Amino acid sequence: MAFLAPNILGFMAFMVVPLVFSLALAFSNWDIRLHNIFHDVSIRFIGLENFFRLFRDPQFLQFLGNTLFFMIGIPLGISGSLLAAILLTQDMRGGNKRVHHGLMVGALIIASLVMGGSFILLAMGGMGVTGMMILLCCLMGGLLLMGVLGGNTVYRTLFYLPSFTSGVAVYILWKKMYNPQTGPVNAALTGPLNALSGLVNSLPPWLVQGGLWLAVVLIIVLYCYGVTKLKDLWNNGAVGRIGVGIGVLFLLIPVYMLFHWCPVKSGAWLAAGVAVAMTALVLIKLLRVPDFHSVPTRGIGTALMLAVVLMALEFILIGFGLVAWNLPALAIDGLRPPDWLSDYYWAKPAIMIMGLWGAIGSNNMLLYLAGLSNIPPELYEAADIDGASNFQRFWNVTWPQLAPVTFFIFVMSVIGGLQGGFEMARTMTKGGPAGATTTLSYFIYTEGFGTGRLGFASAVAWVLFALVFVVTIFNWKFGSRYTND
Amino acid sequence: MKFFLGISLLCLVLASVITYKLMPEAKSKLPILYWVTDPNPARELQIDIFHKWLEKNGYPRFELRVDAANCDASKIVVQGVSGVAGDIIDYGGGNQIDFYTSVGLLEDVTDDAKKLGFGLEKTYPTIGDDITVQGRQYVFPCNVSANLLWINKATFEKYGQPIPPSRWTVEDFEKAGKAFVEKANEGRKQREVFFVNSINNENLLHSLGLDYFNETLTACVLDDRRYVKTLKLQYKWMYEDHLIPTGAEQSSFDTQSGYGGPIFQMFNNGNYAMIGSGRYALIQFRKFGNMNLAVTEPPHLGYPVAGIMARSSGVYAAGKNRKLAKYFLAYLASEDYNMNIVMDADSLPPNPVFTKREEFLKPKKYPNEWGCHEMFVRAALDIAVASSRSPFVLPTVCMRHIRFYEDQFINDRVTADDTARLVTIRVNEEIERSLLENPGLQPLYKEQVEIQKKIEIYRRAGKKVPSSWLSNPFHKKYYRDMGWIEEGSE
Repeated sequence: MAFLAPNILGFMAFMVVPLVFSLALAFSNWDIRLHNIFHDVSIRFIGLENFFRLFRDPQFLQFLGNTLFFMIGIPLGISGSLLAAILLTQDMRGGNKRVHHGLMVGALIIASLVMGGSFILLAMGGMGVTGMMILLCCLMGGLLLMGVLGGNTVYRTLFYLPSFTSGVAVYILWKKMYNPQTGPVNAALTGPLNALSGLVNSLPPWLVQGGLWLAVVLIIVLYCYGVTKLKDLWNNGAVGRIGVGIGVLFLLIPVYMLFHWCPVKSGAWLAAGVAVAMTALVLIKLLRVPDFHSVPTRGIGTALMLAVVLMALEFILIGFGLVAWNLPALAIDGLRPPDWLSDYYWAKPAIMIMGLWGAIGSNNMLLYLAGLSNIPPELYEAADIDGASNFQRFWNVTWPQLAPVTFFIFVMSVIGGLQGGFEMARTMTKGGPAGATTTLSYFIYTEGFGTGRLGFASAVAWVLFALVFVVTIFNWKFGSRYTND
Repeated sequence: MKFFLGISLLCLVLASVITYKLMPEAKSKLPILYWVTDPNPARELQIDIFHKWLEKNGYPRFELRVDAANCDASKIVVQGVSGVAGDIIDYGGGNQIDFYTSVGLLEDVTDDAKKLGFGLEKTYPTIGDDITVQGRQYVFPCNVSANLLWINKATFEKYGQPIPPSRWTVEDFEKAGKAFVEKANEGRKQREVFFVNSINNENLLHSLGLDYFNETLTACVLDDRRYVKTLKLQYKWMYEDHLIPTGAEQSSFDTQSGYGGPIFQMFNNGNYAMIGSGRYALIQFRKFGNMNLAVTEPPHLGYPVAGIMARSSGVYAAGKNRKLAKYFLAYLASEDYNMNIVMDADSLPPNPVFTKREEFLKPKKYPNEWGCHEMFVRAALDIAVASSRSPFVLPTVCMRHIRFYEDQFINDRVTADDTARLVTIRVNEEIERSLLENPGLQPLYKEQVEIQKKIEIYRRAGKKVPSSWLSNPFHKKYYRDMGWIEEGSE
């Protein structure tokens, strides 16, 4: 107990006491302007007034929406970490020592020549875009060669580098990179966008805009696939009726949104018509007796996973379709890279891209590396004996074995995602433009220290806690079941 | 293990003792006071002069040190309510004085000001409302900034454009601006030269006779076609005429170097033909060499006006050395300090008497600046008006809502009319909330609301209004200039 005492005392003093204090203050009118050593005004208990005021605030919904929007990057980050971990378990190192030596010398010479050439081109001016492309290709080639020479250690270090770099320094660096006129990101994008606008202008508009119809067809295909898969899972007893229902509902969301977003309403009607027909067919099938019985609540997690992934793909297709539809009009004056942090619509994606860059090689990747090393090789041997392809090995062996790790990573990422966004907002955008990057955590700061209303800020913090708690419970209930299945 | 922990504890105690012994308070024989201010290189000289001034005048001696690490407003507030803030606290502009005085951070120095000679009569009348709260003085200005437009004559001459006059209307500004940017950006792939870095929207509002608040500061009155007009003008200048850079274009210019930020470098490079700033810009300009400079007032829409603000110092109300700290405020009104500001060009000296000196008007080393300095003084005394602040809502809260919705409008999220309507609703909601949270303000509020009704009756009837009814500094000046003030009531 004596050894634990310092830790317990510290935990009590810096965690428990402030938590309880802030919970009490969330129900009070504590204002730093009125309740401090200079004034004799007592703090009043005001019940739920802070919470009512928060829910009536129109900006709260915007900031909550921003927070939830940033969560879209979580599945991408987890997928990226998994992919990075799988790649890092491959043996990249090349041949014998002589080959090594030859490759090293050759690589150094080639890299120096190309880097030097890029630098000269950049320095000459007017070739900034081409020079940037050459430099990027050179860097990629250099990385590949380093991997061949140094093995996985090099890649593991490089991948993990963003994770242990100081946060504020990284944000300032990215702010420079996102500079619309002089940043390397837009310099790299300018060339391909110019080429794309040239290509689009050379093609008849209907051909480019046909991409929207292609997207609608693919959405229909995905919907049909999803619904059929859910029906098969129900038939096999893997998913109950409720799971099927929830899955179908999620799959219908993008179809419904087509009515709002699709510029060609006939496309939306086509998708809706097919969706209704397929749904009707499935419903008829659901009335029959399945091959394998299951309780109605079985497999909700499985159904959700399938439906959410397909729904995300459908939304991506809607996005591509809309881009294709508007591309001829946009390309007339040439396509420009976005203004990133200064643009209301691109500020959030810009921060998400930066977050993804950091998330791929983060502790999630380390957890996956550990998880991958724990998969019994006999399972892979058995899969090889059965003639499984690489994808089948992954889907039937690797992915299920990593389920507990994935579950843990997902839960922690969701918790972190809901609480995050403060550092980026404070350093890069000050919550703008027009509140586009203000998350709940930044809102708590501005309310607490900008206005002095610490009671109200505490209430916001506890609403955030409640949100995190509910989401975590949901994840635990359904994710755990899915993991155990 | 116990032995190890014991040794660690001993080392920590030893380290604490050594650190304490090394602290300035332990080494110095004189009391040490801390001045929480920005990391301006000029502070060192100002403190040096202060120490000599104390000795010269036979005042109690003490050592003043700069604390630039804690000059952030939120740090000051948190440290202040915890009882550990610096002895002398700086802030920039009237917005913060309300916050600091409502918290109770600043000592009321009204009586000491009379005794030690740093009262309101020693500074510009136009900033009286910037350094007082409900008639009581809490601070004294370190310097005063009237914000005008600096002109880089070389940039205008380079593109063959005429130098702007010292006073101009918005129409003249637009006409000159369009001609300038067209000529300056000819042949460029992207716009790199702008007419001006920004135009203060509050100035435009004031030049239309409108302020954020009504005459008694009891309500926000921005739901007005005049505010809509200024918003549309800003949008037009930014996105149609390209006189002013957009947010993205500004961030492209971000060089992040030098005191005061990147705009001075851009001005020197010719990316901005004009920049809105005070006399303190000369601190940077003088480093660039002898720039060919002129000054003009911001363009107006009928009523010439400029903004003015004071960087001021106040005494921390819970400091142990409050009595000594007040000597610093007396120093700010002294000749020694004022002449230092005059020579350093760190805005206008807080005492306007020193702006009549030859060293101010015609500094020998900088003949390129002759003709500019008096423009700032004239503006500070004639047309400048401080931002109005309502006692019923925090200025920081008010500005947050205004900036939020103006940002939404600039990003095409809401229309100008909706911006005006939403800003007014939100600010007035904040006033209501403030009155609920602070019932002590309610009697004053009710009294002012009654006065507001009387003002509106008088205005509708075309009658002149007693000056004592007007709390809003802008409206006081505006009414006076329009001849709407009742004679003999001032």
